[in-house]
Amino acid sequence: MNILTIALRNARKKWVRTLLLLLVFSLGVVSIVALSFVSRVVGDGLEKKLVSYGANILVSPKSEKLTVSYGGFALGDMLFDVSYLDEADTVKRIEGIELRKNVSVIAPKLVVMDHVQGAAVAIVGVRFEQEKLLKGFWMVEQGTFPGETPEQAAARQAMAAPMHDAPAHAPAPKDADPKDAKPTAAVHVPAGADALLAGSAAAEKLGLKLGSVVPLDRHKFVVTGILAPTGSEDDNVLLADMDALQRASGHPGKVNFVEVAALCSGCPIDDIVNQISAALPGVEIKTLRGIVEQRMVSVHFVKKLILSVSLVILLTGCSMVGISMLSAVNERKKEIGILRSLGFSRRAVFSIFCAEAAAVGLLAGFVGYLAGYFVSFRILAVLEIEGAGSLPFEPLHLAATALVLAILTSLASLFPAWKAAGIEPSEALVTL
Amino acid sequence: MHEPQIIDAPLLEAIGITKSFTQDGMASQALKGVSLSVAQGEFVSIVGRSGSGKSTFVSVLSTLLMPDAGQVNYNGKDLVRATEAEINAIRHGDFAVIFQFHYLLPYLTALENTLLPFMRSLKPVTRAQKTRAMECLARVGLADKAHRLPGQLSGGEQQRVAIARALVKEARVLFADEPTGSLDSATGATVMELLGQINTEGLAVVMVTHNEEYARLAHRLVRMEDGLVV
Repeated sequence: MNILTIALRNARKKWVRTLLLLLVFSLGVVSIVALSFVSRVVGDGLEKKLVSYGANILVSPKSEKLTVSYGGFALGDMLFDVSYLDEADTVKRIEGIELRKNVSVIAPKLVVMDHVQGAAVAIVGVRFEQEKLLKGFWMVEQGTFPGETPEQAAARQAMAAPMHDAPAHAPAPKDADPKDAKPTAAVHVPAGADALLAGSAAAEKLGLKLGSVVPLDRHKFVVTGILAPTGSEDDNVLLADMDALQRASGHPGKVNFVEVAALCSGCPIDDIVNQISAALPGVEIKTLRGIVEQRMVSVHFVKKLILSVSLVILLTGCSMVGISMLSAVNERKKEIGILRSLGFSRRAVFSIFCAEAAAVGLLAGFVGYLAGYFVSFRILAVLEIEGAGSLPFEPLHLAATALVLAILTSLASLFPAWKAAGIEPSEALVTL
Repeated sequence: MHEPQIIDAPLLEAIGITKSFTQDGMASQALKGVSLSVAQGEFVSIVGRSGSGKSTFVSVLSTLLMPDAGQVNYNGKDLVRATEAEINAIRHGDFAVIFQFHYLLPYLTALENTLLPFMRSLKPVTRAQKTRAMECLARVGLADKAHRLPGQLSGGEQQRVAIARALVKEARVLFADEPTGSLDSATGATVMELLGQINTEGLAVVMVTHNEEYARLAHRLVRMEDGLVV
């Protein structure tokens, strides 16, 4: 038993009032927590979708070029020399930036020109693990990804995202229902040769089939897979493993450019670009503004919405606490007089009222957070986006919410508590 | 009458107390230079008609009301000029007040109401303080109702809890403003008997009452009229 007993017992005695305040604040917290969770999942889902459209930052060496045109006839750009980036160093520096956690994929590229059956074609060296993350919409129409077994290919196709997750510009692959995927026969790659993935248009144009051999200088690549049409530049190129292409083209450890996919719900893209620029001086960095700005607008809109709703709810709750406490001060004048006559200081009386409000806030914070957490699952189910992201339960957030609510309700009760502390025993008890 | 040990040196002394109030724009002087001294262990009754200023005077003596002028000396200190912290300390340790209405906290049990003086801070009530509170409740005949809420007690029982609350502090002066005013005669007599017993143990009692019979139980009877001791 101590001074808090007085506050808590009164809250229990006036249970209807306490329950009402608890309800208002809990509802407020439920709304805020649920909105926050749902917007986070929606944001994550949005990020995932946007990332699946490709990189949003392009890192390339600075190159000297001259645009040639005469008499209105454009001859295109003349490149004075082709520069390369050191792959390991570039990737390491990007990984070393402060906002590393906002970088989801780093995908280096090496482009080598080749002639196949008299036609010029680009062979692009990629890191397939990174590339597949960057281009979630890729589907192998025939064969497998380089380095993939037929079983792995079948499993991947079975788990492939449904069609609505594919980017809008990607046409539906012909006969490419992932549920119907069956292991395809592995293409044998002879010793000394490497696997190659052909874009759909390139394969058609060059007459490439599974097992076709594509020579590059003295090296040989064997087509082990053909991509389903993507509607992107990937349709027109041949894709090889980076290490193999670097060896074959005589550019070991070198790349032409690096694509970076950044998650920007929690940071401005400019900060990432600035940090990459600082880490890679003398390198050209371009952002794909459209995607980035679209992301930022979406995320900012949701954030502003949450902030506005939260403010209204909290202000309403705080007003209710203030009004309720103020009326309680008038009701409890005699109690206050008794406490003061027993030697309770003004500060003690003040803290009784604050503690009562804080107790309501603390409990509302706990109840509201837990309810909000479970309500958000229901909302996600109703919106049919449960799979868009995970909702980890964070005890620290629960404690922080309860603490913030306790502080808020205490602040709301400051004026009534101050009024209570100012009551003299004479005005409450003395009958003159 | 009880036979307490009265020490002649004044424990509490009021000198030239004046107090005015303004009501509906009309000023009225409730106390017009009242003086009184109370010795340790003395039982003083203050009687007078309604509006004579007796309640105002006991409120000034008990520090619940500050006078316009005059001195209230307690233990060599003028309480009119004391700091708020000093007043709080005296209210907590030395003075106890009971009123016509018990003013118990309705959401605390009889035991908790008795312990209220020890619940001023976050420091929990000690086992010794609980034992003391139970003794006080036993003394007023309410040990078996210690865990009841005030609403479950009769008017007389509630007033006895208020007395137990006054006793628990081991104060030196008990101020009682019409302690029997809202009680029937039998219960009133019980309460008066209790006050008499308390006084015999050395506690000074200053009681305001309308009841001449009860007033005569005191060592000294002070009659007030129109803001003056007559």
